[in-house]
Amino acid sequence: MTISQQSGGGVQKAPQGGLAEVLDLILDKGLVIDAFVKVSLVGIELITIDARIVVASVDTYLKFAEATNRLDLHQKGGKDLGEFMGGLTEGATEGGAKGKTKGVLDAGKEKWDEVRGERQQSKREKA
Amino acid sequence: MTTTEDSTKSRSTTRGSYIYGIVPAGMRIPDGLEPIPHGDEDGELGLVTEGGLAAVVSDVSADRPLGTRRDLMAHEAVLNAIAQEVPVLPMRFGAVVTDDDAVAEELLKPHQDYFLRALDQLRGHLEFRLRGDYNQDVILTRIVESDPRIQQLREKIAGVDEDASYYDRIQLGESISKAMDQLRQEDAQATVDALSKFAVATEVKEAGGENGAVHLAFLVKTDGRDDFEQAVDDLGNAWAGRVELRLIGPTAAFDFLPEFEAPPEAQA
Repeated sequence: MTISQQSGGGVQKAPQGGLAEVLDLILDKGLVIDAFVKVSLVGIELITIDARIVVASVDTYLKFAEATNRLDLHQKGGKDLGEFMGGLTEGATEGGAKGKTKGVLDAGKEKWDEVRGERQQSKREKA
Repeated sequence: MTTTEDSTKSRSTTRGSYIYGIVPAGMRIPDGLEPIPHGDEDGELGLVTEGGLAAVVSDVSADRPLGTRRDLMAHEAVLNAIAQEVPVLPMRFGAVVTDDDAVAEELLKPHQDYFLRALDQLRGHLEFRLRGDYNQDVILTRIVESDPRIQQLREKIAGVDEDASYYDRIQLGESISKAMDQLRQEDAQATVDALSKFAVATEVKEAGGENGAVHLAFLVKTDGRDDFEQAVDDLGNAWAGRVELRLIGPTAAFDFLPEFEAPPEAQA
């Protein structure tokens, strides 16, 4: 199939999402083997579950506060835009991808990244 | 539920049959797909056929815990590639049975009515997932500017020591979080209004993530795909700069599997 990277509104199109999105699908959705097979089931340990730790919403609140605090609203001149964008996008691009866990804004994706050691996370201590 | 982890025979052999999903018999597995890694020898994807059904399987080692990035991506990639060609019923990650006989005899044969019916319902349909992330600075700026109370809090905090402003910061963050929730609801509704007429089924999901804007799943007729994608592009245009949309798929129909009703007495 074709991967049309780019189209009118700049909607990104991809046949498959990133890891966090995949997790969302294949750990929570799909036919559960236990419902069908009883005798020949092989209980294999899954190491993915622990990675999706729900982080209290306070963490998220503090992040919002921080980001808002850094906002360069028009009445204040000041911060260098590059610095500002850099600070924001660091946290921003990681966002949307992962999910559920009813009602609670979870930072499971970040936890996951932390687990994978892809980037260190500095904001934990306070909570 | 998993009472049989020891299982029947002395099946201490270290391999099992990993099941990706169920497809109509006679399909050909697309080339170039990587199965979940299996020890030294590279496992191969295969089909276990029973009647009108086939299960897509590969060997896995029963000793190794599953769940590495590669395992997870392989599961999804195999299913998505197959979903481009035929309807497929995806298994949840981690479905392993002792051997291929068990796949045929215990999975496919006893439940073939349900599987065949479900495949039939999904035929000619594709699932897409649409995700959108807010452009954080744009959204936050709008929220702050439109709410005097938030504005005041923000000014109160500015320049104050982190510890001294701790509770104010939580309050500010919470207010913003609520404002964003409100926005999410409106945007989810707008997405439904714009796209659901191009889909046979629509599911609104939790956007998730601090910048998550919208997250929806759509079941789209194969021959309605172009119209649907066009509508997605139009929405992306309308939201340019504010929400960044990503369209993922077609994927296996994870979100639109026909309901399975367990038989009253499981045939063991």
